[in-house]
Amino acid sequence: MLRGFTYLIVGWLLIAVTGGIADVLGLSIVLPATSAVVIAHAAFTGERSVVAGLALAVSLGYIEDLHQGAPVGTLSLAAAVTFLILHWAAGRFAVRGWAMRGLVGVVAVILLDLATVAVLFVMADKFGVRKPALLSMLLEMRWHAIATALVAPPVWALFDRAFMWFRLDARPHSDLHLDIR
Amino acid sequence: MAVSFRSVANGILVVVLLGIPVLLLRASAKDPHEMGAFDRAIRRIGAPLEAAVSYSTGMLGGFFERWVLQARLQDANEELAAENRELRQRMRDLVQLEEDNTELRRALQMRDRVPEDMIPAERVGVDQSPFFRVVNIRIDRGRGISQPGMAVLAADGVVGRVDKTFDDYSDVMLVTDARSKIAVEVARNHAQGILLGHSEDACVVDVSKDYDVQVGDVVQTSGVDELFPKGHPVGQVTDIELLVGDQQRLHVRPTVRFDRLDVMWLVLAAAPEADPRAEVGASLAQARGLVPVR
Repeated sequence: MLRGFTYLIVGWLLIAVTGGIADVLGLSIVLPATSAVVIAHAAFTGERSVVAGLALAVSLGYIEDLHQGAPVGTLSLAAAVTFLILHWAAGRFAVRGWAMRGLVGVVAVILLDLATVAVLFVMADKFGVRKPALLSMLLEMRWHAIATALVAPPVWALFDRAFMWFRLDARPHSDLHLDIR
Repeated sequence: MAVSFRSVANGILVVVLLGIPVLLLRASAKDPHEMGAFDRAIRRIGAPLEAAVSYSTGMLGGFFERWVLQARLQDANEELAAENRELRQRMRDLVQLEEDNTELRRALQMRDRVPEDMIPAERVGVDQSPFFRVVNIRIDRGRGISQPGMAVLAADGVVGRVDKTFDDYSDVMLVTDARSKIAVEVARNHAQGILLGHSEDACVVDVSKDYDVQVGDVVQTSGVDELFPKGHPVGQVTDIELLVGDQQRLHVRPTVRFDRLDVMWLVLAAAPEADPRAEVGASLAQARGLVPVR
């Protein structure tokens, strides 16, 4: 419970920090999706219960919805779908080292963006979104992915260190695919 | 395959959790005028959260903005400080240049003003002795020219006389040196005496009490000793001491600031005698608007 709360608070702070820096530096496209990294971290290292992880993903997605000014529910649903896919993958792949963390961050953000575009595509008529505009959004996904790949390892390490400090690392030592060192 | 209650409960929870965003999407897609109670409740719950998100972003944005602004101000401050240092240095250089320029112009003017045959010399050092007051000078292309006893003048007046010579270099004994003796007179009443070096910045000369001498009177060379040409200022009377007998002692402060000497003139020969056959009252050529530099 405390672990999920930490994810939520730190995830919220990361969203706000990213938004603040982007506002000051005038960045609009090359921005990392810190929520994708948080969801990936939760899926691969912590939340073995699907329900808790899914609740976290929906909550974080909801905050992203509010923050980005997207139709409420869009990023909530996309984050939920992303978490389910990553959770499924976590049972099959191990994440070790900075490169893998960056790669998982890229995969997570691609999944999140694809899910978001898919939701918007389905709801395009309801929301009055032009479908060709959604395709151009897909092209800009590469900048999103590059920025996320850069921030994924430090964000990942931040959570590892925070859980170590607060003794919230509930992983069993024999759980090889969740190794964080 | 048996399905546990826990698995069923988890499955239901997953569906519920996935249903929440769908409901949110449904509420978002609805026309605000056609919203039901449920949709309005969702919006009402979201409003304070949205405000909190906006506030957190604005607060952190403001923090970063201040931070960046402070960094930019610091950069600008450092740039301005560096520019200020450079300008101050240039200003000091210009002041130094101006002083050098003035000194050189005065030296040139003196060359035109003084009729004696002279050669310029530059100061290269000062001998550090508590007893003797001597400056070292160098005379360009002056090997063999400088001789002991030659008078040394500056734009402000008498410096002293050559004491020793070594190739291009010479030691000049200042008028304040205890060994220095110069024939002088008070410019106002021609009261004559021998000026003796007394201390670091003072000389003394004894003159007859018959002359009315006042503090501030200018003392100049009299030319009697045939070492110094006549009429060059030596100093000013700063104090008058009445001695026993018919003499009075004048304390004289030299007109030359020895610590600021750069260019001096070595007197090679006395000025030629005036030509009695020269045309009296011959007019000088017009300066065509040019005036001496001050």
